[in-house]
Amino acid sequence: MITLIRIELYKIFKKWRTYIGFMVIAVIVPVINFAMLAEGEKSLDFMTRNLQQSFVFVGNLLNGYLISYFILTSLAVHIPFLIALVAGDLLAGEATAGTYRLLITRPVARIKIVTSKFIAGLIYSNLLVLWLAVMSLGIGILIFGVGELIVIKSSGIIIFAKNDIIWRFIFAYGFAGLSMTVVTALAFFFSSLVENAIGPIVSTMAVIIVFLILSALPIDFFRNIEPYLFTTYMSSWRNLFEDPVDYQAFIKAIAVLSLHIIILFTITAWIFKRKDILT
Amino acid sequence: MKNILIFILFTSVSLAQSVKPEDILEKVKNNFSRVNDYEVRVNIKVDVNFLKVPETRAKIFYKKPDKIQLKSEGFALLPKEGLDFSPYSFLEGDYTAIFDKENVIGGNPCYLLKIIPLGDKGDLILSTLWIDKNKYVIRKIESTTKSNGTFTIDLKYDNDFKYPLPSSMVFTFNVQKMQMPKEITGDMTDETNEEKDKQNKSRTTTGKVYINYSDYKVNSGLPDSLFTHEKK
Repeated sequence: MITLIRIELYKIFKKWRTYIGFMVIAVIVPVINFAMLAEGEKSLDFMTRNLQQSFVFVGNLLNGYLISYFILTSLAVHIPFLIALVAGDLLAGEATAGTYRLLITRPVARIKIVTSKFIAGLIYSNLLVLWLAVMSLGIGILIFGVGELIVIKSSGIIIFAKNDIIWRFIFAYGFAGLSMTVVTALAFFFSSLVENAIGPIVSTMAVIIVFLILSALPIDFFRNIEPYLFTTYMSSWRNLFEDPVDYQAFIKAIAVLSLHIIILFTITAWIFKRKDILT
Repeated sequence: MKNILIFILFTSVSLAQSVKPEDILEKVKNNFSRVNDYEVRVNIKVDVNFLKVPETRAKIFYKKPDKIQLKSEGFALLPKEGLDFSPYSFLEGDYTAIFDKENVIGGNPCYLLKIIPLGDKGDLILSTLWIDKNKYVIRKIESTTKSNGTFTIDLKYDNDFKYPLPSSMVFTFNVQKMQMPKEITGDMTDETNEEKDKQNKSRTTTGKVYINYSDYKVNSGLPDSLFTHEKK
Protein backbone atom coordinates (compact mmCIF):
# COMPACT_ATOMS: atom_id res chain seq x y z
CA MET A 1 0.00 0.00 0.00
CA ILE A 2 2.82 2.41 0.88
CA THR A 3 4.34 1.80 -2.56
CA LEU A 4 1.02 2.51 -4.23
CA ILE A 5 0.62 5.73 -2.29
CA ARG A 6 4.17 6.75 -3.20
CA ILE A 7 3.41 6.11 -6.86
CA GLU A 8 0.22 8.16 -6.69
CA LEU A 9 2.02 11.01 -4.94
CA TYR A 10 4.69 10.90 -7.63
CA LYS A 11 1.99 11.15 -10.28
CA ILE A 12 0.35 14.07 -8.48
CA PHE A 13 3.55 16.04 -8.00
CA LYS A 14 4.73 15.28 -11.52
CA LYS A 15 1.94 17.46 -12.90
CA TRP A 16 2.52 21.19 -13.04
CA ARG A 17 -1.06 21.98 -12.04
CA THR A 18 -0.33 20.56 -8.59
CA TYR A 19 1.97 23.47 -7.91
CA ILE A 20 -0.65 26.09 -8.81
CA GLY A 21 -2.10 25.93 -5.32
CA PHE A 22 1.27 26.30 -3.62
CA MET A 23 2.25 29.15 -5.92
CA VAL A 24 -1.05 30.97 -5.42
CA ILE A 25 -0.63 30.80 -1.66
CA ALA A 26 3.01 31.83 -1.96
CA VAL A 27 1.92 34.95 -3.84
CA ILE A 28 -1.33 35.86 -2.08
CA VAL A 29 -0.10 35.58 1.50
CA PRO A 30 2.84 38.00 1.12
CA VAL A 31 0.62 40.37 -0.87
CA ILE A 32 -1.94 40.40 1.94
CA ASN A 33 0.81 40.93 4.51
CA PHE A 34 2.31 43.86 2.63
CA ALA A 35 -1.14 45.35 2.11
CA MET A 36 -1.73 45.12 5.86
CA LEU A 37 1.67 46.70 6.44
CA ALA A 38 0.51 49.68 4.39
CA GLU A 39 -3.12 49.88 5.51
CA GLY A 40 -3.41 47.60 8.50
CA GLU A 41 -3.32 50.34 11.15
CA LYS A 42 -6.17 52.18 9.44
CA SER A 43 -8.21 48.97 9.21
CA LEU A 44 -7.59 48.19 12.86
CA ASP A 45 -8.49 51.75 13.87
CA PHE A 46 -11.72 51.43 11.93
CA MET A 47 -12.55 48.09 13.54
CA THR A 48 -11.82 49.36 17.05
CA ARG A 49 -13.21 52.89 16.69
CA ASN A 50 -16.10 52.24 19.09
CA LEU A 51 -13.67 50.86 21.63
CA GLN A 52 -11.35 53.83 21.24
CA GLN A 53 -14.16 56.21 22.17
CA SER A 54 -14.22 54.85 25.69
CA PHE A 55 -10.84 53.19 26.18
CA VAL A 56 -7.15 53.85 25.81
CA PHE A 57 -5.15 50.77 24.96
CA VAL A 58 -1.58 49.81 24.28
CA GLY A 59 -0.13 46.69 22.75
CA ASN A 60 0.72 45.17 19.43
CA LEU A 61 -2.73 44.23 18.11
CA LEU A 62 -1.64 44.39 14.47
CA ASN A 63 0.48 41.26 14.66
CA GLY A 64 1.09 38.02 12.81
CA TYR A 65 -1.76 36.27 14.58
CA LEU A 66 -4.32 38.83 13.42
CA ILE A 67 -3.08 38.63 9.84
CA SER A 68 -3.19 34.82 9.92
CA TYR A 69 -6.71 34.87 11.31
CA PHE A 70 -7.74 37.28 8.60
CA ILE A 71 -6.17 35.09 5.88
CA LEU A 72 -7.90 31.99 7.26
CA THR A 73 -11.24 33.80 7.13
CA SER A 74 -10.74 35.18 3.64
CA LEU A 75 -9.58 32.09 1.80
CA ALA A 76 -12.49 29.82 2.75
CA VAL A 77 -13.80 29.55 -0.84
CA HIS A 78 -10.53 29.84 -2.72
CA ILE A 79 -8.64 26.96 -1.15
CA PRO A 80 -11.35 24.40 -2.09
CA PHE A 81 -10.85 25.35 -5.75
CA LEU A 82 -7.13 24.66 -5.46
CA ILE A 83 -7.94 21.30 -3.86
CA ALA A 84 -10.51 20.34 -6.51
CA LEU A 85 -7.95 21.18 -9.20
CA VAL A 86 -5.90 18.14 -8.18
CA ALA A 87 -8.46 15.85 -6.54
CA GLY A 88 -10.77 16.07 -9.56
CA ASP A 89 -7.96 14.72 -11.72
CA LEU A 90 -7.13 11.70 -9.59
CA LEU A 91 -9.41 9.22 -11.40
CA ALA A 92 -10.63 11.20 -14.39
CA GLY A 93 -7.02 12.00 -15.25
CA GLU A 94 -6.31 8.30 -15.75
CA ALA A 95 -9.15 8.15 -18.28
CA THR A 96 -7.92 11.29 -20.04
CA ALA A 97 -4.40 9.84 -20.23
CA GLY A 98 -5.73 6.48 -21.37
CA THR A 99 -4.00 4.66 -18.52
CA TYR A 100 -7.09 3.28 -16.80
CA ARG A 101 -6.79 -0.20 -18.30
CA LEU A 102 -3.07 -0.26 -17.69
CA LEU A 103 -3.73 0.66 -14.08
CA ILE A 104 -6.34 -1.95 -13.28
CA THR A 105 -4.80 -4.81 -15.19
CA ARG A 106 -2.00 -4.81 -12.65
CA PRO A 107 -2.28 -7.52 -9.97
CA VAL A 108 -3.55 -5.01 -7.41
CA ALA A 109 -7.09 -5.00 -6.07
CA ARG A 110 -9.22 -2.10 -7.26
CA ILE A 111 -10.02 -1.18 -3.68
CA LYS A 112 -6.29 -0.73 -3.01
CA ILE A 113 -5.90 1.40 -6.11
CA VAL A 114 -8.77 3.69 -5.20
CA THR A 115 -7.68 3.88 -1.55
CA SER A 116 -4.11 4.76 -2.44
CA LYS A 117 -5.34 7.46 -4.81
CA PHE A 118 -7.60 8.88 -2.15
CA ILE A 119 -4.84 8.87 0.47
CA ALA A 120 -2.50 10.60 -1.97
CA GLY A 121 -5.17 13.24 -2.61
CA LEU A 122 -5.65 13.59 1.13
CA ILE A 123 -1.91 14.10 1.61
CA TYR A 124 -1.87 16.76 -1.10
CA SER A 125 -4.79 18.70 0.39
CA ASN A 126 -3.33 18.61 3.89
CA LEU A 127 0.08 19.64 2.56
CA LEU A 128 -1.59 22.63 0.93
CA VAL A 129 -3.24 23.60 4.22
CA LEU A 130 0.07 23.13 6.02
CA TRP A 131 1.73 25.37 3.43
CA LEU A 132 -0.97 27.99 4.05
CA ALA A 133 -0.35 27.74 7.81
CA VAL A 134 3.42 28.05 7.47
CA MET A 135 3.19 30.95 5.02
CA SER A 136 0.54 32.96 6.85
CA LEU A 137 1.88 32.47 10.38
CA GLY A 138 5.53 32.54 9.31
CA ILE A 139 5.41 35.67 7.18
CA GLY A 140 2.90 37.34 9.51
CA ILE A 141 5.04 36.84 12.58
CA LEU A 142 8.21 37.79 10.68
CA ILE A 143 6.76 41.11 9.56
CA PHE A 144 4.39 42.02 12.39
CA GLY A 145 5.69 40.06 15.36
CA VAL A 146 3.43 38.46 17.94
CA GLY A 147 0.94 39.92 20.36
CA GLU A 148 -2.59 39.50 21.58
CA LEU A 149 -5.19 38.40 19.06
CA ILE A 150 -8.25 40.60 18.65
CA VAL A 151 -11.24 38.80 17.18
CA ILE A 152 -14.16 41.02 16.30
CA LYS A 153 -17.52 39.32 16.01
CA SER A 154 -20.91 40.87 15.43
CA SER A 155 -21.68 40.10 19.09
CA GLY A 156 -18.56 41.69 20.55
CA ILE A 157 -14.81 41.71 20.82
CA ILE A 158 -12.58 39.00 22.23
CA ILE A 159 -8.93 39.59 22.95
CA PHE A 160 -6.87 36.45 23.48
CA ALA A 161 -3.71 36.53 25.58
CA LYS A 162 -0.44 35.90 23.74
CA ASN A 163 0.06 32.50 25.33
CA ASP A 164 -3.50 31.43 24.53
CA ILE A 165 -3.36 31.66 20.75
CA ILE A 166 -1.02 29.20 19.05
CA TRP A 167 -2.90 26.10 20.17
CA ARG A 168 -6.06 27.58 18.66
CA PHE A 169 -4.31 28.02 15.34
CA ILE A 170 -2.92 24.49 15.44
CA PHE A 171 -6.40 23.04 15.90
CA ALA A 172 -7.92 25.53 13.43
CA TYR A 173 -5.52 24.52 10.69
CA GLY A 174 -6.03 20.88 11.62
CA PHE A 175 -9.76 21.38 11.21
CA ALA A 176 -9.16 23.23 7.93
CA GLY A 177 -7.28 20.13 6.77
CA LEU A 178 -10.33 18.02 7.62
CA SER A 179 -12.63 20.46 5.75
CA MET A 180 -10.40 20.30 2.69
CA THR A 181 -10.41 16.50 2.92
CA VAL A 182 -14.19 16.66 2.44
CA VAL A 183 -13.60 18.74 -0.69
CA THR A 184 -11.04 16.14 -1.80
CA ALA A 185 -13.55 13.35 -1.21
CA LEU A 186 -16.25 15.22 -3.15
CA ALA A 187 -13.96 15.96 -6.10
CA PHE A 188 -12.71 12.37 -5.99
CA PHE A 189 -16.30 11.12 -6.12
CA PHE A 190 -17.09 13.28 -9.18
CA SER A 191 -13.81 12.15 -10.71
CA SER A 192 -14.98 8.52 -10.56
CA LEU A 193 -18.03 9.34 -12.67
CA VAL A 194 -16.43 11.02 -15.66
CA GLU A 195 -13.43 10.78 -17.92
CA ASN A 196 -12.41 14.41 -18.00
CA ALA A 197 -10.94 16.34 -15.03
CA ILE A 198 -12.73 19.62 -15.84
CA GLY A 199 -16.13 18.17 -14.95
CA PRO A 200 -15.21 17.15 -11.39
CA ILE A 201 -13.41 20.45 -10.72
CA VAL A 202 -16.35 22.56 -11.86
CA SER A 203 -18.92 20.28 -10.20
CA THR A 204 -17.11 20.41 -6.87
CA MET A 205 -16.95 24.18 -6.91
CA ALA A 206 -20.57 24.41 -8.06
CA VAL A 207 -21.72 22.24 -5.17
CA ILE A 208 -19.74 24.28 -2.63
CA ILE A 209 -20.93 27.62 -4.00
CA VAL A 210 -24.57 26.54 -4.24
CA PHE A 211 -24.51 25.14 -0.69
CA LEU A 212 -22.95 28.37 0.60
CA ILE A 213 -25.60 30.45 -1.16
CA LEU A 214 -28.40 28.28 0.20
CA SER A 215 -26.96 28.60 3.72
CA ALA A 216 -26.83 32.39 3.43
CA LEU A 217 -30.44 32.83 2.27
CA PRO A 218 -32.72 33.95 5.12
CA ILE A 219 -35.55 31.58 4.17
CA ASP A 220 -36.93 29.10 6.67
CA PHE A 221 -36.90 26.21 4.20
CA PHE A 222 -33.17 26.54 3.68
CA ARG A 223 -32.56 26.98 7.38
CA ASN A 224 -34.07 23.54 7.87
CA ILE A 225 -31.69 21.88 5.42
CA GLU A 226 -28.67 23.89 6.56
CA PRO A 227 -27.62 21.33 9.24
CA TYR A 228 -27.36 18.71 6.49
CA LEU A 229 -25.01 20.69 4.26
CA PHE A 230 -21.31 20.04 4.84
CA THR A 231 -20.48 23.67 4.03
CA THR A 232 -22.28 24.67 7.24
CA TYR A 233 -19.56 22.97 9.23
CA MET A 234 -16.53 23.92 7.16
CA SER A 235 -16.05 27.19 9.02
CA SER A 236 -16.48 25.62 12.45
CA TRP A 237 -12.80 26.31 13.13
CA ARG A 238 -14.15 29.72 14.24
CA ASN A 239 -15.46 28.01 17.38
CA LEU A 240 -11.86 27.78 18.50
CA PHE A 241 -11.71 31.57 18.53
CA GLU A 242 -14.60 31.96 20.96
CA ASP A 243 -14.41 32.41 24.69
CA PRO A 244 -15.39 29.91 25.98
CA VAL A 245 -14.78 27.45 23.16
CA ASP A 246 -17.91 25.57 22.14
CA TYR A 247 -16.29 22.13 22.13
CA GLN A 248 -19.60 20.38 21.58
CA ALA A 249 -20.24 22.24 18.32
CA PHE A 250 -16.64 21.71 17.28
CA ILE A 251 -16.73 17.97 17.89
CA LYS A 252 -20.08 17.74 16.12
CA ALA A 253 -18.55 19.49 13.10
CA ILE A 254 -15.63 17.03 13.09
CA ALA A 255 -18.07 14.12 13.25
CA VAL A 256 -20.27 15.45 10.43
CA LEU A 257 -17.33 16.17 8.13
CA SER A 258 -15.73 12.80 8.90
CA LEU A 259 -19.03 11.12 8.06
CA HIS A 260 -19.15 12.97 4.75
CA ILE A 261 -15.61 11.78 3.95
CA ILE A 262 -16.46 8.17 4.80
CA ILE A 263 -19.70 8.18 2.80
CA LEU A 264 -18.19 9.90 -0.25
CA PHE A 265 -15.17 7.61 -0.27
CA THR A 266 -17.32 4.50 0.19
CA ILE A 267 -19.54 5.46 -2.75
CA THR A 268 -16.48 6.28 -4.87
CA ALA A 269 -14.83 2.96 -4.01
CA TRP A 270 -18.05 1.09 -4.85
CA ILE A 271 -18.37 2.91 -8.20
CA PHE A 272 -14.73 2.26 -9.05
CA LYS A 273 -14.96 -1.40 -8.06
CA ARG A 274 -17.93 -1.93 -10.36
CA LYS A 275 -16.77 0.41 -13.11
CA ASP A 276 -16.62 -1.01 -16.58
CA ILE A 277 -13.46 0.43 -18.09
CA LEU A 278 -14.06 0.85 -21.79
CA THR A 279 -11.31 3.34 -22.68
CA MET B 1 -39.47 72.98 71.43
CA LYS B 2 -39.86 75.80 68.95
CA ASN B 3 -36.59 77.35 70.11
CA ILE B 4 -34.80 74.03 69.68
CA LEU B 5 -36.08 73.71 66.12
CA ILE B 6 -35.01 77.25 65.26
CA PHE B 7 -31.57 76.54 66.78
CA ILE B 8 -31.16 73.34 64.69
CA LEU B 9 -32.24 75.11 61.49
CA PHE B 10 -29.89 78.02 62.18
CA THR B 11 -26.98 75.65 62.87
CA SER B 12 -27.63 73.71 59.62
CA VAL B 13 -27.75 76.84 57.50
CA SER B 14 -24.65 78.20 59.21
CA LEU B 15 -22.85 74.94 58.68
CA ALA B 16 -23.78 74.88 55.01
CA GLN B 17 -22.63 78.42 54.57
CA SER B 18 -19.43 77.79 56.49
CA VAL B 19 -18.47 74.89 54.21
CA LYS B 20 -17.00 76.55 51.19
CA PRO B 21 -16.61 74.12 48.28
CA GLU B 22 -13.72 76.13 46.84
CA ASP B 23 -11.78 75.68 50.08
CA ILE B 24 -12.40 71.95 50.08
CA LEU B 25 -11.24 71.62 46.49
CA GLU B 26 -8.19 73.75 47.20
CA LYS B 27 -7.24 71.46 50.07
CA VAL B 28 -7.67 68.42 47.82
CA LYS B 29 -5.46 69.99 45.16
CA ASN B 30 -2.85 71.03 47.73
CA ASN B 31 -2.84 67.52 49.15
CA PHE B 32 -2.24 66.06 45.72
CA SER B 33 0.33 68.72 44.78
CA ARG B 34 2.82 66.88 47.01
CA VAL B 35 2.91 64.31 44.20
CA ASN B 36 5.20 65.59 41.45
CA ASP B 37 5.33 62.28 39.66
CA TYR B 38 4.64 58.64 40.24
CA GLU B 39 5.08 55.27 38.64
CA VAL B 40 2.73 52.45 39.61
CA ARG B 41 2.02 48.85 38.62
CA VAL B 42 -1.58 48.18 37.72
CA ASN B 43 -3.59 45.01 37.42
CA ILE B 44 -6.60 45.51 35.17
CA LYS B 45 -9.70 43.35 35.00
CA VAL B 46 -12.40 44.28 32.50
CA ASP B 47 -16.01 43.20 33.01
CA VAL B 48 -18.07 44.29 29.99
CA ASN B 49 -20.47 41.83 28.49
CA PHE B 50 -19.49 42.37 24.85
CA LEU B 51 -15.78 42.69 25.55
CA LYS B 52 -13.67 39.74 26.70
CA VAL B 53 -10.18 40.78 27.69
CA PRO B 54 -7.68 38.78 29.72
CA GLU B 55 -6.51 40.23 33.03
CA THR B 56 -3.61 42.48 32.16
CA ARG B 57 -0.68 44.09 33.89
CA ALA B 58 0.69 47.46 32.97
CA LYS B 59 2.47 50.50 34.37
CA ILE B 60 1.11 54.00 34.65
CA PHE B 61 3.47 56.95 34.68
CA TYR B 62 2.32 60.39 35.82
CA LYS B 63 4.03 63.74 35.94
CA LYS B 64 2.45 66.93 37.20
CA PRO B 65 0.34 68.60 35.96
CA ASP B 66 -1.03 66.62 33.05
CA LYS B 67 1.45 64.09 31.67
CA ILE B 68 0.26 60.51 31.88
CA GLN B 69 1.35 57.36 30.09
CA LEU B 70 0.20 53.77 30.06
CA LYS B 71 2.88 51.23 29.23
CA SER B 72 2.70 47.49 28.98
CA GLU B 73 4.77 44.66 27.57
CA GLY B 74 1.62 43.16 26.15
CA PHE B 75 -1.87 44.41 25.63
CA ALA B 76 -3.52 46.65 28.21
CA LEU B 77 -6.80 48.50 28.15
CA LEU B 78 -8.08 51.22 30.45
CA PRO B 79 -11.10 53.49 30.34
CA LYS B 80 -10.01 56.96 29.27
CA GLU B 81 -11.45 58.70 32.31
CA GLY B 82 -9.91 56.13 34.62
CA LEU B 83 -6.36 56.65 33.47
CA ASP B 84 -5.83 59.87 35.42
CA PHE B 85 -7.43 60.14 38.84
CA SER B 86 -5.67 63.35 39.86
CA PRO B 87 -7.97 66.14 41.03
CA TYR B 88 -6.54 68.36 38.28
CA SER B 89 -8.16 66.20 35.61
CA PHE B 90 -11.62 66.70 37.10
CA LEU B 91 -11.12 70.33 38.08
CA GLU B 92 -9.65 71.85 34.95
CA GLY B 93 -11.06 74.93 33.30
CA ASP B 94 -13.70 77.22 34.79
CA TYR B 95 -16.38 75.66 36.90
CA THR B 96 -18.88 76.33 39.62
CA ALA B 97 -18.64 74.22 42.74
CA ILE B 98 -21.63 73.71 45.02
CA PHE B 99 -21.62 72.05 48.40
CA ASP B 100 -24.56 69.64 48.52
CA LYS B 101 -24.37 67.76 51.79
CA GLU B 102 -22.27 65.49 53.93
CA ASN B 103 -22.30 61.80 53.30
CA VAL B 104 -20.58 58.62 54.42
CA ILE B 105 -18.80 56.29 51.99
CA GLY B 106 -17.26 53.05 53.22
CA GLY B 107 -17.29 54.39 56.78
CA ASN B 108 -15.54 57.61 55.74
CA PRO B 109 -17.41 60.87 56.27
CA CYS B 110 -17.33 62.89 53.06
CA TYR B 111 -18.33 66.23 51.63
CA LEU B 112 -20.52 65.89 48.56
CA LEU B 113 -19.73 68.57 45.99
CA LYS B 114 -21.27 69.26 42.61
CA ILE B 115 -18.96 70.60 39.91
CA ILE B 116 -20.58 72.29 36.95
CA PRO B 117 -18.17 73.26 34.15
CA LEU B 118 -18.77 76.70 32.71
CA GLY B 119 -19.01 77.15 28.96
CA ASP B 120 -20.04 74.45 26.52
CA LYS B 121 -16.72 73.51 24.94
CA GLY B 122 -15.81 70.59 27.16
CA ASP B 123 -17.30 67.13 27.20
CA LEU B 124 -18.18 67.17 30.88
CA ILE B 125 -21.69 68.20 31.89
CA LEU B 126 -21.69 67.60 35.63
CA SER B 127 -19.44 65.94 38.19
CA THR B 128 -20.26 64.88 41.72
CA LEU B 129 -17.30 64.42 44.04
CA TRP B 130 -17.24 62.70 47.41
CA ILE B 131 -14.30 64.16 49.29
CA ASP B 132 -13.01 62.65 52.51
CA LYS B 133 -13.58 65.18 55.30
CA ASN B 134 -10.50 64.21 57.24
CA LYS B 135 -7.95 63.27 54.62
CA TYR B 136 -9.04 65.48 51.69
CA VAL B 137 -8.86 62.76 49.08
CA ILE B 138 -11.48 61.97 46.47
CA ARG B 139 -13.36 58.79 47.43
CA LYS B 140 -15.87 58.73 44.62
CA ILE B 141 -16.61 60.57 41.40
CA GLU B 142 -19.77 60.44 39.36
CA SER B 143 -19.56 62.33 36.08
CA THR B 144 -21.92 62.83 33.20
CA THR B 145 -20.39 63.51 29.81
CA LYS B 146 -21.88 64.48 26.47
CA SER B 147 -20.26 61.69 24.50
CA ASN B 148 -20.08 58.74 26.89
CA GLY B 149 -22.93 59.15 29.33
CA THR B 150 -22.36 58.71 33.03
CA PHE B 151 -19.43 57.01 34.68
CA THR B 152 -18.57 56.37 38.31
CA ILE B 153 -15.15 55.97 39.87
CA ASP B 154 -14.82 54.44 43.35
CA LEU B 155 -11.40 54.91 44.87
CA LYS B 156 -9.99 53.03 47.83
CA TYR B 157 -6.90 54.03 49.78
CA ASP B 158 -4.64 52.25 52.22
CA ASN B 159 -5.38 53.23 55.81
CA ASP B 160 -2.01 54.80 56.43
CA PHE B 161 -1.25 56.25 53.04
CA LYS B 162 1.54 58.80 52.77
CA TYR B 163 0.42 60.24 49.45
CA PRO B 164 -3.20 60.60 48.21
CA LEU B 165 -2.83 57.75 45.70
CA PRO B 166 -5.42 54.98 45.62
CA SER B 167 -4.77 51.29 46.11
CA SER B 168 -7.71 50.30 43.94
CA MET B 169 -10.31 51.74 41.64
CA VAL B 170 -13.61 50.46 40.33
CA PHE B 171 -14.70 52.23 37.17
CA THR B 172 -18.34 51.80 36.19
CA PHE B 173 -19.46 53.18 32.85
CA ASN B 174 -21.87 53.01 29.95
CA VAL B 175 -20.53 52.05 26.59
CA GLN B 176 -22.19 51.60 23.23
CA LYS B 177 -22.24 48.05 21.97
CA MET B 178 -20.11 47.40 18.94
CA GLN B 179 -21.94 47.23 15.64
CA MET B 180 -19.66 45.63 13.12
CA PRO B 181 -20.73 44.78 9.57
CA LYS B 182 -20.74 41.01 9.02
CA GLU B 183 -18.53 41.44 5.97
CA ILE B 184 -15.76 42.58 8.34
CA THR B 185 -16.35 40.04 11.07
CA GLY B 186 -16.88 37.20 8.58
CA ASP B 187 -19.63 36.06 10.90
CA MET B 188 -22.20 35.08 8.32
CA THR B 189 -24.42 33.01 10.58
CA ASP B 190 -27.87 34.47 10.30
CA GLU B 191 -29.39 35.74 13.52
CA THR B 192 -32.90 34.82 14.41
CA ASN B 193 -35.36 37.65 14.82
CA GLU B 194 -35.32 37.02 18.56
CA GLU B 195 -31.57 37.56 18.72
CA LYS B 196 -31.84 40.75 16.66
CA ASP B 197 -34.54 42.15 18.98
CA LYS B 198 -32.38 41.34 21.97
CA GLN B 199 -29.43 43.21 20.44
CA ASN B 200 -31.56 46.19 19.41
CA LYS B 201 -32.97 46.57 22.92
CA SER B 202 -29.55 46.78 24.58
CA ARG B 203 -27.38 49.02 22.38
CA THR B 204 -25.82 50.65 25.46
CA THR B 205 -24.40 48.40 28.12
CA THR B 206 -22.86 48.92 31.55
CA GLY B 207 -19.34 47.79 32.19
CA LYS B 208 -16.89 47.71 35.05
CA VAL B 209 -13.13 47.87 35.15
CA TYR B 210 -11.30 46.83 38.31
CA ILE B 211 -7.84 48.30 38.75
CA ASN B 212 -5.41 47.44 41.53
CA TYR B 213 -2.44 49.72 42.09
CA SER B 214 0.75 48.50 43.70
CA ASP B 215 4.43 49.41 44.06
CA TYR B 216 4.04 53.14 43.88
CA LYS B 217 7.28 55.04 43.26
CA VAL B 218 6.51 58.64 44.07
CA ASN B 219 8.61 61.68 43.27
CA SER B 220 11.42 59.67 41.72
CA GLY B 221 12.08 62.33 39.06
CA LEU B 222 10.54 60.84 35.95
CA PRO B 223 11.96 62.26 32.72
CA ASP B 224 9.71 63.91 30.13
CA SER B 225 10.94 61.45 27.53
CA LEU B 226 8.72 58.78 29.13
CA PHE B 227 5.65 60.68 28.01
CA THR B 228 6.32 60.74 24.29
CA HIS B 229 2.85 59.74 23.05
CA GLU B 230 0.19 60.34 25.62
CA LYS B 231 -0.35 63.94 26.80
CA LYS B 232 -3.74 65.31 27.71
